[in-house]
Amino acid sequence: MNLYEHTIIARQDTSPSELKQLTEKYSKIIEKNDGEVVKTENWGLLNLSYLIKKNKKGSYIHFKIKGNGNVVDELEKNEAIDKKLLRYLTVRVKKFDLETIYFGKKEDSEKKESAKN
Amino acid sequence: MPKRQSSNKKGKQSNFAKLSIFQPNKYKFKKSCPLSVKGAPEVNYKNIKLLKKYISENGKILPSRITNVSQKKQRELSLSIKRARNLALL
Repeated sequence: MNLYEHTIIARQDTSPSELKQLTEKYSKIIEKNDGEVVKTENWGLLNLSYLIKKNKKGSYIHFKIKGNGNVVDELEKNEAIDKKLLRYLTVRVKKFDLETIYFGKKEDSEKKESAKN
Repeated sequence: MPKRQSSNKKGKQSNFAKLSIFQPNKYKFKKSCPLSVKGAPEVNYKNIKLLKKYISENGKILPSRITNVSQKKQRELSLSIKRARNLALL
């Protein structure tokens, strides 16, 4: 069993309900292949630093997966076809970092900073 | 918001200084590797704030001879910068 971090970017015009469907769809695929979703994070709508298929923004969904390599194969096979998605990235990690949140929390700290000034 | 703008300006200045070989002492990076010290932040493709320090204005990866990052950390940096680029975070 390996640990993977998996991130997908959905188009900017996907509605929140569609995003939920997407997360459910892919978590089902993971579970079918004897994988386990340890955590899902919704990073929200972020600005892309360059245009991807004429999209300026994208909704990021982040999975932390425990499973074998065939889970990743199956996921990426499905994601390559999916027209709602722009990009995907899988990274194998040795340990999950469940505590630090890089997205979402960052905005809060920025708000705090601006509030201080 | 006003604070953000000012910090952006500062970033540009220091970035400009980074790229010249005869940089003034003020803008020089530390002599020892800033990422190998105890308690240093972890290099990770999600940690954009950290990665942004190690790219130039044009988005190029800065060489380690300028930033004084150790070889091991420079490899980690370049890999995570490339991952972040793929996700359109940088």
